[in-house]
Amino acid sequence: MNSETKLKDPLSLKIAPWVSVIGFFVVWQLLIDTEIVPRILLASPVEVGKLLIDKLTNPDPDGAVLMTHTIISLIEALLGYILALITGIPLGLLMGWFVVAEGLARPPFEMIRPIPPVAWIPLAIFWFGIGITGKVFIIWACAVVPCVINAYTGVRMANPTLIQMARTYGASDWQIFTKICIPSALPMVFGGLQIALALAWTTLVAAELIAADAGLGYLITMGRRLLRPDMIVLGMIMVGLTGWFIGNIIDRIERRLTAGLERGGAAT
Amino acid sequence: MNKGLTDEIKVEVIGLTKKFGELLVLDDVNFTVRKGEFLAIVGPTGCGKTTFLNLLSRLIPATRGQIRIDGQEADPKKHNIAFVFQEPSSLPWLTVKQNVEFGMLIKGVRADEREHRLTRIIDLVGLTDCAELFPNQISASMEQRVAVSRAFATSPDLLLMDEPYGQLDIKLRYYLEDELVKLWRETGSTVIFVTHNIEEAVYVAERILVLTNKPTTIKAEIQVDLPRPRNFIDESFIEIRKQVTDLIRWW
Repeated sequence: MNSETKLKDPLSLKIAPWVSVIGFFVVWQLLIDTEIVPRILLASPVEVGKLLIDKLTNPDPDGAVLMTHTIISLIEALLGYILALITGIPLGLLMGWFVVAEGLARPPFEMIRPIPPVAWIPLAIFWFGIGITGKVFIIWACAVVPCVINAYTGVRMANPTLIQMARTYGASDWQIFTKICIPSALPMVFGGLQIALALAWTTLVAAELIAADAGLGYLITMGRRLLRPDMIVLGMIMVGLTGWFIGNIIDRIERRLTAGLERGGAAT
Repeated sequence: MNKGLTDEIKVEVIGLTKKFGELLVLDDVNFTVRKGEFLAIVGPTGCGKTTFLNLLSRLIPATRGQIRIDGQEADPKKHNIAFVFQEPSSLPWLTVKQNVEFGMLIKGVRADEREHRLTRIIDLVGLTDCAELFPNQISASMEQRVAVSRAFATSPDLLLMDEPYGQLDIKLRYYLEDELVKLWRETGSTVIFVTHNIEEAVYVAERILVLTNKPTTIKAEIQVDLPRPRNFIDESFIEIRKQVTDLIRWW
C-alpha cells in the first residue's frame, strides 16, 4: 500500500532536492557576481564559506572563533532550557492535580504568560548585565511556559476511569498523582519539551542580538556594526544548523525515553 | 467451599439515599450481603445501577444512609474494596502482569505475597502467555480479564463489578463468567455484580436483587439455588430467568 502511494519514479525524487539546493546556491552566487544585488547588502555563498573557514581559527574582528560563539550560545540555551524543565514540569504536574497548587500558581502564571519573553530583555540587562545569567533567565522565562502548560494539560487529560480505579483500591491523592497522573501526562510533557526548545533557541538569538559580548547572535550583531554581510549570513547559518542539531538530539533522547511508553501508550 | 452455609453478614446497606440536586436517584435502599456471597443486581436501563455502585465504592458520597462492611462504615482506605469497571481500566504504560499487581501495590501487600498471588491468579485466568505484553497488544476481553484479576488479587472484602462483560460478545461472556465464578470460589470474595443482562445474572449469582426504575429501590429479591456449572437451557434456569424478566418488565 505504501509503495503504491509513493512517486512512480523514485529517481526524480532523489534528484529533485539536490537540484533545488544546488540551484539555490548557484542563483544566490550569480545574483552577487552580476551585481544585481550589491555586495554591501548580501555576501555570496563563496564569501561566506571562506569566512567560515577563516573563523574556525581567527578570533578577529569580533573577538572569538566560531566554535566559541557556538558553544556560548549552546551553554546559555541549554542552561535556561534545563532550568525551565526542572521548574516547569513539576509545577505543571502539581497544578494539574492538586487544587491548592493550581489555585496558588495559576493566577500569577496566567498574568505573566502573555508577556513575550523578549520583553524581559531590558529588565534582564538591569538585573544581570549582559553576561550569561541574564540570557539564561530570559530563556528560562520563555521555555518554562510550554513546560508548565503541557504538563498541566497532560495531567488534566488523564483518563478519569483510571483515577477512579485507583481510588476504589484506596489510593491516596499522592499515589494517584505519582502512579496515574504523571505517567498519563508524559506524552504531553515530551511534546512540551520540543516546543520549549524551539522557543528557547529563538529567544536566545534575540537576546544575544541586544545584549551580549559573545554568542552567535552577537556574531550577527557585529556583522551589522562592521558592515560585514558575510558575517551576518554566517551567523544566521550557524544559528540554523545548531538549532537543527540540538533539535535532533532532543528528538533522539525523547524517542529513547518514550520507547516503552509508545509501545504501551499509543493505544486504540 | 460452599459459601452458602455461612450466615455472617459482610455488607450492610441501611437507608441508602442519593439525590443529585432535587433529583432523587436512590430511595431508601436496604439490604445485606453475606460473607462470600455472589449477589447480582439487575434493573432497567438508566435505573441508577452505576450510581448505586459508585455509592457502595465510596466514589461519591451518599445523601443519607449507611454502608457498613464488617459492622464499620465503609472506607476504601480501610476496607479492601475492589471495583471492576465496564470500560477498560488497565494502565497502558504497565504490562499485563504489572497491571494485575497494581491493586496489591496500592493496598501495600508485601512483595513475596504479591508474587505468590500474581503467579496464582495469572495462571488461573490463563494470562501467563501475555503477562509481559502491554494492554494495547491484547484483546478487549483479555483486558477485562486483567481488570478482574487485578481485583481478585487484592483478596477484596467486597468486589464490585459494573457490567464488566457488557461490551463483549455472548460466547466470550459465558467463558469469562465461568472464569469469574471460578475465581470467586477460589478466593472466597464477596461479590456484588451489576448487570442489565438477566441471563448473565442468573448464570453467576447466588441471589439477585431486582431494582425499580428511578427513584430506585429494591423491588424483589430472588434466590438462585441452582447447581454449578449452570446450564442456561435448563428448565429451572429458564424459569428463574423468566421470573426476573417479568419483574423488570412489570412496571
